[in-house]
Amino acid sequence: MDILFGSLAAGILLGMVIALVALGLTIIFGVMDIVNFAHGEFLMVGMYTGLLTAQATGMDPLLTLPVAGVVGFLLGVICYAGFIKFLIRGPMVAQLLGTFGLMLFLRNLALLIFGSSDRTVHHGILVGKSFEIGMGIILPATKLAAAGLSVIAFLAVWLLMNRTKIGKALTATALNAQAARYMGIPTEKMNALAWGIGGASVTVAGALIVNFWAVNPFMGLLFTMIAFAVVALGGFGSVPGAFFAGLAVGLIMEIPGFWDFFTYTFDWMWMADVPMTSLKYMWIYVAYFVIMVVRPRGLFGWKH
Amino acid sequence: METLKNAFDFSDFPRMDLVIAGAVALVFLVFPLFPTSSYAMATMIQFFMFALYGMGWNTIGGYGGQVDLGKAQYVGIGAYTTGVLLIRWDIPFWVSMPVGMAIAVIWSFIIGYPLFRLKGHYFAIATIATSLVLKDLFTVWSFVGAARGLEISPITYPPPDYLRLIFREDIYYYYTILGFFFLGFIYMNWFRSSRLGFQLRCIKDSEDMARSLGINVHWAKIKAYAIATAFVSMVGSFHVCYIKVIEPVDIMSLDLSILIALMAMLGGAGSLWGPIIGAGVLIPLRSYLKEWLGAAAGLVGIDLILYALIIMIVSAFEPRGIWGIVEKVRRRKRR
Repeated sequence: MDILFGSLAAGILLGMVIALVALGLTIIFGVMDIVNFAHGEFLMVGMYTGLLTAQATGMDPLLTLPVAGVVGFLLGVICYAGFIKFLIRGPMVAQLLGTFGLMLFLRNLALLIFGSSDRTVHHGILVGKSFEIGMGIILPATKLAAAGLSVIAFLAVWLLMNRTKIGKALTATALNAQAARYMGIPTEKMNALAWGIGGASVTVAGALIVNFWAVNPFMGLLFTMIAFAVVALGGFGSVPGAFFAGLAVGLIMEIPGFWDFFTYTFDWMWMADVPMTSLKYMWIYVAYFVIMVVRPRGLFGWKH
Repeated sequence: METLKNAFDFSDFPRMDLVIAGAVALVFLVFPLFPTSSYAMATMIQFFMFALYGMGWNTIGGYGGQVDLGKAQYVGIGAYTTGVLLIRWDIPFWVSMPVGMAIAVIWSFIIGYPLFRLKGHYFAIATIATSLVLKDLFTVWSFVGAARGLEISPITYPPPDYLRLIFREDIYYYYTILGFFFLGFIYMNWFRSSRLGFQLRCIKDSEDMARSLGINVHWAKIKAYAIATAFVSMVGSFHVCYIKVIEPVDIMSLDLSILIALMAMLGGAGSLWGPIIGAGVLIPLRSYLKEWLGAAAGLVGIDLILYALIIMIVSAFEPRGIWGIVEKVRRRKRR
């Protein structure tokens, strides 16, 4: 039973972190109808920002979150104003490949500057601490903090989208950009803002994740794909959808744990031969494919 | 007979294009007769392979307008079929290549049927997902070598082996792939004026209109997808004989899928010359940037940074690719 509860808890915690990563992607997609392949690379930028700020100033990695947020906001706005603005005039294939180019650019820039080795945070209030509740549930302090921040960030974005004038303007731009322009909404600025918020939320997530995940220039793609799966599962452009889909994907990523549980509880030894840990990420893509085919709007989607 | 005539019918192109194309074809034919570095030779073979990948992608992605970013899985199927059949049962390339194509096409039907219910971004990302699922499966499947992949040892099959396509010198591979290239090109020329080609262009413009004209949209897309798959799988089979190593992480990577789409788009998606121009620009650029900047100057990644910048600039400012620029210039001249 310990394995089951441990996996459940780990999955939910991981899921909340993943939801935070996907939040930025769902905002950008919701407002602009563009799929950002560079999303994982934004996360990487956030991770490097958190790491380097902490190392350079000797601060605790947790205190670097605002720095990462500012960097992410600027990154998002610069990417929009300097590149995406021109890209969205073209056909869809150009948009997909253009953001792929952005991804390649950021990845290799990081490779050129930082080299290909893994880097980790060694010091910090949270690093290395964990709470044991019993029944196999272990909550690492870093992940707990990330999960807490994830909930706060989702509430903040939800409030921003639903309770403020800017949020209304963003939603209007998302629904019909041309009509929004007639109503006097500066849609250009709203798009830039969406990229800013999207970038900031994902770099903040990065600065938190760096506490428990090693950073290297190639780690972006995995997170991009996971974020795509989350966004598709929750429905493109749906903020609450992204949160619950994040939880679902977190649990899916813990499938090896559940597999072990069944293997040992019922003593089905043939299950032990299946290399489940190597197939960890495959289930995410399978889930994504099935959801897309069965219900293309996603679980909570409003845009199709 | 009619089909053959259509395949060789280039009359709708300006004469200058045909002269240039003929000259380039001649250069391709005599290229290995002049002493060149082995690096240039390898780059040329790469160019032909990617031109063929691009032609395949062009059927569904260019003419049909369905952005497919999962072609690497069919490269993998082709390569693995040839590799496994050769190593396990000693079946030569010329038999295993059609077998691989058949398997790839069957697999494309199985996943194409649900895939084509999706449109736009959803379709594009779903193709990525299927490709990654297959990659993960091949990484753990011990029958095909799991994560280590397969290796064809030239000691077991002493070169030159025309049946199994194992050679020591690149020149044999060069002419083999050149043959495939010309065949593929002729096929594409037939395809663009075939019934399916016109149907696809109609679907690209407006799916509803295509449906109202009595085109079975779903089936037309699946057929085009199967054609693209056959092309890609064929080159995948060749790839394994040429490189002699398969690693699932390399051969089914997302980077390869996207590079294939990029070739066609950079040259001009939906045109006959597009994939060839795209591959002709990108492949030498990639190889030589790597050679000059990456290796020589010791700056890791700088070649790919420049490469990425080119992708970004082209997709932002000239999404119809190089062929789009040519056509624009021509239209301006005519006025």
